[in-house]
Amino acid sequence: MIMSSLTDWHVDVLEYAQKCIYCGYCSLCPTYKELKWETNHPRGILEQIKLYFSEGTKENVKLEVSKTLFEAVFACTMCKACENICLVDIPLIKIWEQVRQESFKKGRWSPSMLSLYNKVKDTQNIFGLPPEERLIWAKLSGLVMTRRVKKKAPLAYFVGCQASYSGKMSEIAPSVVKILRKTKTNFTILGNDEWCCGSPIFLAGGYSVGKSFAKHNLDELKKLGVKRIVTACSGCYRAFKIVYPRVLGESWDFEVLHISELANELIQSGKLKLKKQIKEKVTFKDPCELVRHCGLIEAPRNVINSIPNVRFEELPSNKEEALCCGGGGLLKLNDSDLGNKVNSKLISEIKYSEADIVANGCPTCLDTIQAGVKKEGLDIEVIDIAELILRAMGEKK
Amino acid sequence: MTLKRNVRSRFVRFIGKKLREDRTTLQVYSRDMSDLPSLVSIFFKNIPDGVILASSVEDIQTIYSIANETKTPITQRAAGTAGLGGSVTYNGGLVVDTKGFEQKFFFDPLEQTVTINPSYVFSDLQRELKLQGLSLCSYPSSYHSATIGGWIAHGGHGIGSAQYGGALEQIVELEVVLPTGHLVKYTERDHISLFVGSHGTLGTITEVTLRVKFDIPLKHQGCTFDSPEELVKGLGEIATTFPHSVWFLNPKHVESFNETFGYNLPNRYVAIISKEVSFEEEEMEFNRLFNNAIRNAGGQILDRRYTEDIWKFRFRSLSMLKHCSDYVVSEVILPIESSDKYIRKLISKFKGNIHLEGEFISPTHYALLIYVLSEEKMSSLKKTLLNLKLFKLSLKSKKVKGYPYSTGLWFSGFYGQIYGKDELRRYKEFKKSVDPKNISNPGKVLSPKFRFFPIVSLKFVVKLASRFML
Ligand SMILES: Cc1cc2nc3c(=O)[nH]c(=O)nc-3n(C[C@H](O)[C@H](O)[C@H](O)COP(=O)(O)OP(=O)(O)OC[C@H]3O[C@@H](n4cnc5c(N)ncnc54)[C@H](O)[C@@H]3O)c2cc1C
Repeated sequence: MIMSSLTDWHVDVLEYAQKCIYCGYCSLCPTYKELKWETNHPRGILEQIKLYFSEGTKENVKLEVSKTLFEAVFACTMCKACENICLVDIPLIKIWEQVRQESFKKGRWSPSMLSLYNKVKDTQNIFGLPPEERLIWAKLSGLVMTRRVKKKAPLAYFVGCQASYSGKMSEIAPSVVKILRKTKTNFTILGNDEWCCGSPIFLAGGYSVGKSFAKHNLDELKKLGVKRIVTACSGCYRAFKIVYPRVLGESWDFEVLHISELANELIQSGKLKLKKQIKEKVTFKDPCELVRHCGLIEAPRNVINSIPNVRFEELPSNKEEALCCGGGGLLKLNDSDLGNKVNSKLISEIKYSEADIVANGCPTCLDTIQAGVKKEGLDIEVIDIAELILRAMGEKK
Repeated sequence: MTLKRNVRSRFVRFIGKKLREDRTTLQVYSRDMSDLPSLVSIFFKNIPDGVILASSVEDIQTIYSIANETKTPITQRAAGTAGLGGSVTYNGGLVVDTKGFEQKFFFDPLEQTVTINPSYVFSDLQRELKLQGLSLCSYPSSYHSATIGGWIAHGGHGIGSAQYGGALEQIVELEVVLPTGHLVKYTERDHISLFVGSHGTLGTITEVTLRVKFDIPLKHQGCTFDSPEELVKGLGEIATTFPHSVWFLNPKHVESFNETFGYNLPNRYVAIISKEVSFEEEEMEFNRLFNNAIRNAGGQILDRRYTEDIWKFRFRSLSMLKHCSDYVVSEVILPIESSDKYIRKLISKFKGNIHLEGEFISPTHYALLIYVLSEEKMSSLKKTLLNLKLFKLSLKSKKVKGYPYSTGLWFSGFYGQIYGKDELRRYKEFKKSVDPKNISNPGKVLSPKFRFFPIVSLKFVVKLASRFML
């Protein structure tokens, strides 16, 4: 089995930093827009990388630079807007991850970061809750999953930590399961053997633990003869699409689908029928991890547009230009005030769209948008696209 | 930390946490878009003594008040993309980052104007305008990063300038904090013109009212030419079609364009012409005029399937720099009429290894970006020499009535050549009256004294170096 090592994972951050042409296009960075110091500007971070990683930089200078450098990379939502607009194709996300790793190596993670890391490491979920309660969502929604857990099947539904444990996300997993059942799709779930996809760990810069999680999930899925994985979490989706192939190499040979992609496929094949009208005006917030990291654009739109007489309205910034919700890249953990500021820009776009329902495909977006909408006192429903599909199928929650 | 203690304590008292002096921040603010070799730093002290993230008119007034008292030079900086050193300190002092201003957007539908603060980035402003069915009249191709304030202070032009003019023509009202601390609003063109291209030397722009227009669709046409002579003739003909924008590349640049964006454009001079058309008859008329123009000039019309696509890359042409390890850039403004000789000269001086990109700034003139790319990382000395060579060649444009794009630091001392002697006189008088201590962006526009030998000007030293070092 070909697996990557930490060295393969690494890019030459200094070489890339030197490639920056300083055009400043990355000023669209949502957190730079709030903080406004050049030291938080992606190109300004590259300038600091040049100082920090250059050979011959004295330790005292490194220490000084590291203060602003580490702070800046942890103020990043990893929304990838900077990398997508970069004129000279600098792999900025990999660079930010690597600087985060450097901060871990130097023992400079914040206490909240360390606490998350330890929780995930010890309990294999981001909440630090008992692993044996991973199926609590099924219990609470009255679904019996025993016959699905760890059964041989071509498709696995990877639930993810947030949909498994969080009360706020309690509709996501049952909606996905009902879609799959209703369309007679043969699927399995890993149950208590599902481990966090490792996305938060990788985002934090923790390589080894993240890799052991990836390896565990790979082994479990292989045992069940799984060929395809579906998830309703954009973080898990990105991990499976982008991170796992980097970490696990060719052994990670699954087809990975977001629930909107699977639904779109089922609609095309006539297995899924959306027959119930949704009268409310609907908009879709593209999660950064789906749209910019993985290029998933059309599937959710096709699905929404398949709803009879749907009134679908794009947000002013949509598709690759979608605004960040402020929750990504562990920013919510590192600086929730900053996250809220970033979020407020998205909320004003949602307000402008005059939509009644905001659908999306990411539990983190769901959480932050719900909070932002509530704070603004807006009468807007925020739901996952799986819930919207279920509604349009005419199914009860 | 190099701010004197008394100066520092004054700023800290009134500006508080908006002032930063840590080594990292100072280093990060020590450059703009121009990636100059370290050798050049003998000419100036580009590392500031402090950086202030200003967020209001009051901040700017306070900064000027203390700067005047303590004779501290201040250098305004917006997005830092102008690339002529305008936002880099010449002799230390404070950088005042104007990106800290809160976003203000006031749209007047009757007057078709928009009032904004100077730190608005073009793409953000255009997005807001589009929601109202409106558009900017003209904008630089650094649309995704440049700010309105920086563009005005730099004396910018851009896409749409062929039809609507440059920064000056867009401004209805300009609010400025003068170095005296007075807040003034200017509506007269005579006054506004002083600030356009003044690089913050006359004060800090704090609010702008811009003319905007309906968002009229653009139609694009493309054509190719064989030689600089044919190109220049073609540009002259194209000007008679009253275009919105004319953008062209030389064959070397076309080669890079093809490589970067996966095209197969002919290895000739390629021009993309855009025009606002509201209805079909207008489009037919444009096509007719365009076809005639190209026929008269002896050019060839480019397959229309290409042109829409190429237009989409108008903000991305610097992507071709990803294929090289180093580069040097300069920019001049040339009259269409006589510029073929100059283009020939540039090509021969670099044995064809030169990339040229032009954009109309008016029906009679265009801006020409000149890039020299290198496959290897250049040594500091080599890069300095190449910069000097390009500097010298930029000045040579005078022979065909051309001039540097703007002054900033590198071309300080060339204001008269750009705007004329009368404007220079007016500029000097105004500068003297509002900034007698020369604290507002010193070293820019008018050539400063050379730091290590202050009886000669920097302009003199650079000119001398470009003559004798090459
Ligand atoms: C990809 C690319 C394409 C470009 N295309 C064009 C183009 O088409 N046309 C064009 O004209 N330029 C172009 N430029 C150059 C540059 O982007 C523009 O001139 C831009 O408008 C400068 O704005 P800025 O915000 O970066 O200003 P800065 O570079 O930060 O500042 C420019 C000057 O203005 C002064 N200044 C900044 N803010 C203020 C203020 N509030 N009050 C007073 N003075 C101030 C600064 O001291 C400095 O002297 C391009 C650059 C790039 C990287």
